Amino acid sequence: MAKERLIVIGGDAAGMSAAAQARRHRPELDIVVFERGPHTSFSA
Amino acid sequence: MEEVDAAARKVRVRDLITGRSVWETYDQLLFGTGALPLCPELPGSDAVEICGINTLESGLEIRRRLDQGGIKKVVVVGGGYIGLEMAEALIKNNLEVSLVNRPSQVMETLDEDMGALVSQALRDVGVALYLEETLTAFETSLGKVTGIVTDKRTLPADLVILGLGVRPNTELAAAAGVPLGEKGSIRVNARMETEIAGIWAAGDCAESFNLVSRKPFYVALGTVANRHGRVAGINLGGGYATFPGVVGTAVTKICHLEVARSGLQEKELRNLGLQWDSAVIKSRTKAGYYPGAGEITVKLLAERGSGRLLGGQIVGAEGSAKRIDVVATALHAGFTVEEMINLDLGYAPPFSPVWDPVVTAARELAKKL
Repeated sequence: MAKERLIVIGGDAAGMSAAAQARRHRPELDIVVFERGPHTSFSA
Repeated sequence: MEEVDAAARKVRVRDLITGRSVWETYDQLLFGTGALPLCPELPGSDAVEICGINTLESGLEIRRRLDQGGIKKVVVVGGGYIGLEMAEALIKNNLEVSLVNRPSQVMETLDEDMGALVSQALRDVGVALYLEETLTAFETSLGKVTGIVTDKRTLPADLVILGLGVRPNTELAAAAGVPLGEKGSIRVNARMETEIAGIWAAGDCAESFNLVSRKPFYVALGTVANRHGRVAGINLGGGYATFPGVVGTAVTKICHLEVARSGLQEKELRNLGLQWDSAVIKSRTKAGYYPGAGEITVKLLAERGSGRLLGGQIVGAEGSAKRIDVVATALHAGFTVEEMINLDLGYAPPFSPVWDPVVTAARELAKKL
């Protein structure tokens, strides 16, 4: 069975905080973040 | 991101370098799409020197324009957090700065009496302040901005910064059928889950709950976004976390003046139909005799009858703003002003008068209730 997949739209404060927490709680989760701009977590 | 198909649990995303669009499937989807600056559709508003500012990239763009030279006069439209902080940055770059604001004082998240202190501080640092004026058009020549027009005057400008507030960036979510709430933000439960299975939202695109008014609330701030994201991430990782809500705390500064607020302000209380009393006190940031002590003004608002603290605002010298955290904590705890009077806060002359200014305000307010 394929790994469960989380897609995050937006790589700033909320998106990256969530992605980091999800990774810590579930190391095997497949996580993909899409960000339109060139920077991530710029207001975090 | 171009499209979300919630039924099929897939998203269509375009690579901005190759221009190719592809469908990606998901089991869980989190909207962290943030907020967009409000840009009025006015004559001339497509000129390139008119900048909203909401990302690191938009800040860098303004920096690049200033570095290219030729910019002397800047008009900032809007006297909120963005307007104030941009005005400070521009003044420090030795530019001629005007600020146009529709309300009668800047900082609409403060009551007018406290906002007036901030308006005066702006004038003191050299900002030409135009209050109760509405932007009606931009003047342009060959596609470049040359000025702005208000209902009272024309101001020349080489660059215009818009700080007119933000709206949640939720078009994509709405198109996917995700229900929206306060001010068009994505409605979520306490776990940051939307009403659509497998879809979550966090940050400036998502709704919050106001713990003081006990009503849904929209606020776009990085602090809240980090906490929303943490809660959403724990849940998405299979854990369990809830976000109780916010009390509406925010701080900023304009040059030497620090500005802070938490809870509800008079106009919010009026809209809620609550009755309140308020007290405004002036004190010092350190013991009065201690070198470097500066002025601080504290306003507290509490419910008539119950004495429950409803809000607080602080304007003053360095060491003022973070005192709002005592107010924020008291709001979270649901304290009355009587309960605030006996708070065991830190004191030594370099840090505070023997009665902390926030407690002094609580004592004054308790006398009126």
